[in-house]
Amino acid sequence: MKFSIKRTAFIQRLTNVQRTIASKTTIPILTGIKLTLTNEKLILTGSDSDISIEAAIIKSDDNAQLEIEETGATVLPARFFSEIIKKLPGDTFSLNTFENQQTQILAGKSIFKVNGISAEEYPHLPEIEISQKITLAADLLKKVINQTVIAASNQESRPILTGVHLTIYQGQLTAVATDSHRLSQRKIPLDINDLNYDVIVPSRSLIELARMLPDSSEKVELRISENQMLCFFDQTVFYSRLLEGNYPDTAQLIPNNSETELEVNANDFLAAIDRASLLSHEGNYNIVKLTLDPKQQLAKIYGNSPEVGTINEVLNFESLTGKSLEISFNPDYMKDALHSFGQTTVKINFTQPLRPFTLTPSENQSNFIQLITPVRTF
Amino acid sequence: MTKIKELPAILADQIAAGEVVERPASVVKELVENAIDAQSTQIDIYVADSGLSLIKVIDNGQGIAADELELAFRRHSTSKLHDKNGLFKIRTLGFRGEALPSIASVADVTLKTAMTDGQGMEIEIRGGQQLDKKIIARPQGTEVMVRSLFYNTPARLKYLKSPQTELAVISDIVDRLALGHPEIALSLHNNKRVLLQTAGNNNLQQTISAIYGVKNAQQMLPVHANDLDFAVEGFVSLPKLTRATKNYITLLLNGRYIRNYQLTNAVIKGYGSKLMVGRYPMAIIALKLDPVLVDVNVHPTKQEVRISKEKQLCELIQTTIYQRLATENLIPDALADFKAGSTSLNFADLDAKLNETSQQYRYQDQAPVVTKQSLKSQQSAEKKAAKTPIIATEADKTIIIEKRQDLTDKLKNWDQKYQNSQVLEDPQATVNSKLKTITTGPAKKRFPDLRYLVQIHDTYLLAEAEDGFYLVDQHAAQERCKYEYFRVAMGKVAKDQQALLVPLVLDYSTSDALIIQKNIAKLAEVGVQLEEFGQNSFIIHQHPTWFEDGKEETMIREMIDCLLRDGKISIAAFREQTAINMSCRLSIKAHHHLDDRQAQALLSQLAECENPFNCPHGRPVLVHFSQTAVEKMFKRIQDPHQSQRNQL
Repeated sequence: MKFSIKRTAFIQRLTNVQRTIASKTTIPILTGIKLTLTNEKLILTGSDSDISIEAAIIKSDDNAQLEIEETGATVLPARFFSEIIKKLPGDTFSLNTFENQQTQILAGKSIFKVNGISAEEYPHLPEIEISQKITLAADLLKKVINQTVIAASNQESRPILTGVHLTIYQGQLTAVATDSHRLSQRKIPLDINDLNYDVIVPSRSLIELARMLPDSSEKVELRISENQMLCFFDQTVFYSRLLEGNYPDTAQLIPNNSETELEVNANDFLAAIDRASLLSHEGNYNIVKLTLDPKQQLAKIYGNSPEVGTINEVLNFESLTGKSLEISFNPDYMKDALHSFGQTTVKINFTQPLRPFTLTPSENQSNFIQLITPVRTF
Repeated sequence: MTKIKELPAILADQIAAGEVVERPASVVKELVENAIDAQSTQIDIYVADSGLSLIKVIDNGQGIAADELELAFRRHSTSKLHDKNGLFKIRTLGFRGEALPSIASVADVTLKTAMTDGQGMEIEIRGGQQLDKKIIARPQGTEVMVRSLFYNTPARLKYLKSPQTELAVISDIVDRLALGHPEIALSLHNNKRVLLQTAGNNNLQQTISAIYGVKNAQQMLPVHANDLDFAVEGFVSLPKLTRATKNYITLLLNGRYIRNYQLTNAVIKGYGSKLMVGRYPMAIIALKLDPVLVDVNVHPTKQEVRISKEKQLCELIQTTIYQRLATENLIPDALADFKAGSTSLNFADLDAKLNETSQQYRYQDQAPVVTKQSLKSQQSAEKKAAKTPIIATEADKTIIIEKRQDLTDKLKNWDQKYQNSQVLEDPQATVNSKLKTITTGPAKKRFPDLRYLVQIHDTYLLAEAEDGFYLVDQHAAQERCKYEYFRVAMGKVAKDQQALLVPLVLDYSTSDALIIQKNIAKLAEVGVQLEEFGQNSFIIHQHPTWFEDGKEETMIREMIDCLLRDGKISIAAFREQTAINMSCRLSIKAHHHLDDRQAQALLSQLAECENPFNCPHGRPVLVHFSQTAVEKMFKRIQDPHQSQRNQL
C-alpha cells in the first residue's frame, strides 16, 4: 500500500473513526485503525464491536488530493497513528507499507516507521444484505437524536432503558427514550409508507452518530437488520449494535388531557429553574416547587436547601389557565427538557400534583413531547 | 431383610462417642466440665503426647459415692438432672449423662474417687468393660485417667491431626474453661511441661493475663452491665489491641464457652468504626442469665445454644462496649515499639517475658518434627535472650526452673508469680470508680488540651500538651470531624418520593418474600414502598429522592437485602459508607499547607468529636509521644534510673 494525501482532509476523517476505537478491549487488534486502499478510494475503519465506522476518502475529492500508487491494506495502532499524523510537518504526507507490515510515514524531512498488523486479522464488519432504506435529512436526524438521548438512562441496571426506542410505522418515525423519571418522544414523517420497524438503539451509538452528522440537509440512509443499524452519509458507513429486549409501552404513559396549562418562553423558564436549582443542588433536597394560581394569574417557583437558604421567584409567562396547582420536581430533569426546545415558547400541561406532566412546543404540539414525573413531598 | 433389634449397650455408647468424643480435646473438655460441676476449687490436667497416650484430670470436688461408681459409667445416668423441669433450668455444664460412658467405650479409663479424705474407690474400665474395682486411700476428689484413646476405633485415630494441632485444641478448650471459671485454680501440663496455670482467686483479669500474657491483659478494659434479663461482665481489648481472627472473642454463658455468630458480631459492632478493616478485638464476655432463657440441648458438645431474647442481649453487649470505649483515651503511644525493644529489668516486663517464653516452649519437647513456626519462635526467643543482659537471662532461667520443680509445695512463691498482681493496682476499685463517673458526673477528660505548634511536611500537625507532644494526621483529623457530621446528616434524608414512569418489579424467593411481606411497613418507613405484585414479586412505583441517579434498583435491593440479613434497617447505617466516602473526599489531603489559624481550628474541632482517635477507616488520627518516652529515646533516662523512679 502506498499513497500520499493532504493532511487536513485525512485528519478530519481520522478523528471521526478514532472516536469509536476503544483504548481497552479484549481483542487487541481493535485498538488499531484499519487502512484499506483501493483503486478509487482510501477507507479508514475503526470499531469497538458495538459501534463500527468506515469512512472513505475518494480519489476525485479535490480537497484530499489523494494520490494512489499501490493498493493494499494494513492495521496501525490508532493511538500512535493519530498523534503522529496530527504532529507531522507539512501539508501532505505519504504512507508506504512494506511486506512485513512495517509502515513508513513520510512528511517533510520526518520519517516514522510504525509496526502494523496484517489487515486480514481484522474482524469483519457485520454484513447487512438489506436493500430497504429510509432516507432522512442529516440535520433532522441529528435533532431527533439530540432531543431524545437526554432522557435515556445511563445506568446498566436496566439495560433496555439505555437505548432509544425507534419505531417506524405507517410512514412515521417515533423516537422515545426514558430513564423512568422523564421521557422524551419525537415524531417525524417519512416519505415511505411500506416499512415497519421496531428497534432499540444504544444511546451512546446515537450520540456518536449525531456528532458525526453534518449540519446540512444532506441525505442520510438508514438500513436496519435484525441486530444492526446502518447509517450511510457523506462517504461514511456507521454501524451500531441494537439492544435486545422489549421496550416498555410508553404510549399509555403520556396523558391526553390536562387540568392546568402554562405557556412560557423556554429560555426564560430555563433561566429561572437554573436559579432555583442553585440552592437545591446542595444536599438531599434537589427539588423545586412550582405554584400555579390561574385565578390571580400568578406563577411562582420555590427552591429550598435547609442548610443554605431559599429562593422565591415569580415567573413571567404567556398564559396560565385551568385549576390552581402545586407541584414539585427535580430541576435537573426540567433543565434537560427545556434545553432541548431551544428558543421557543413551550406549553406545560399538568393533570394532578402527583401525575406526570408534559412539555410541548406551543406550535406543533404532537411532534415533540417531554414528560417529567413529579416528586411527592412531605 | 435383616431383623430389627436393640443395639448392645457398648455399641450404643460407641455410636454416641462419635458425637461426644471427637478428639482428645473433647475428652479433656468433658472431664474438666465434670470436675467443675463437682464444685472443685482446683483442677489439674495432665496430658501426655497431646492426650493420645494419657489424659489425667485431678480435682478436689465432691467425688462419687462408692455404690454409684458403676452407675456413673452407664449411659444416661447423671447426678445433674433429676426431672423434666430440670432440663430447662440447667445450671451445670453437663446433664446428658453421656460423657463418661462414651469415653469409656473408646479408651482405657481408670477412675479414683473419694467423697472425704481417706477411703475411696478405684474402678478400671476398658472399651466399656469393667476390669477392676477396689478400695483405695486418697484425698477428697476425683481423678480420671484416660489411656489409649481410640484404641478400638482406628478410623478416628487415623483422622486425628498432628500432635501439635491436637495439643493446641486442648489448650484452647482449657483456656476457655479457665476464662469461664476464674474461681477455679486450673493447670494444664503436657509431658510434664506447664502450659497454663491460673490463680483461682476469682480475678478474671489475672486469668486473662495467665492465658494471653500480662501485656495484653493490661490493655483490656473491664465492662459491666445489667438489664432485667441479663448480666454482662468481662474484659474487652482497646481498639489498638486486635487480632486477625474472631477466635479471641470468648463468649461465656453461665460459665459455659459458647459460639454464637450474633453475639460475636455484637461485640465487634460495639467497636463501631474504631477497628481497622479485617481486625477483630480480643474480648472475654461472661453472660449471666436465668437458665430458663437458654436452651443448651442443641448438640452434645453444647457449644451452640439457643438464647431467647437474643436481640436484646446483642444490643446490651453492643451498647455496653460502645459506652465503655467512649470514655477511654485511645491515643496510641508513638514509642510503644521503641520501648518494647529496650531492655528493662522492671518486674512487669520480666514476668511478661516469662509468660512469653513458657508459651513459646509449649509444644517444643513433644514435637519430633520441628515445624518452621516453632523453629522461628525458638530463634526469636533466643534472639531475645541474646539481647537481654546476662543478669536478665539468668533470672529468666532460674525462675522457669523454680516454676516447674517446686510448683506444688512453694505456695508463697506460687502466689507471687501467678497471681500476676502487678497487672492492675486494684482492678475492682478502678472499675467501680469509672462506672460511677460514667453514670453520674461528666465523663472524665480523655482528650488532651492540644496547643498547636507547627505543621510538618504539610501533612502532620505537631501539638503539645501537658503529658508530652502529639502528632496529628491532618487528613485523618478532618475526615473524622466531617464523618461525624455526615453520619448524622446522612440519616436525615428528605422523605420526598420521586415517581417512576416505568415501575420496578422485584422478584424474591418464597422464604424471602414472606419476610418482606411481614416488613412492608418497616420498608415504607425508610421510603421503600413495596406493593405485592403476584406471587413473590413486588412492584415499586416511586422511590426516595436521595437515591443516587440510576442506581435506584440497586439501592432498593441492597436495602431489602439488609433487612433480610439483619431483620432491621436504618438509613443512617445504610448510608454510613457514603458518609465515610464523602468525609474522605471532602477533607483536606496530605501535602496541603495550613496556616496557624486553620490548624488550630482543626484541632479544636477534633477535640469536640465523639471519637477523636480514629478516622472512619480505623486508622489513628493522632499519636502520643510521652515525655518520659522521649527522654528515654535520647538516653536522658537510663533504665536503672527508670526502675528507681518507678519505685519512688
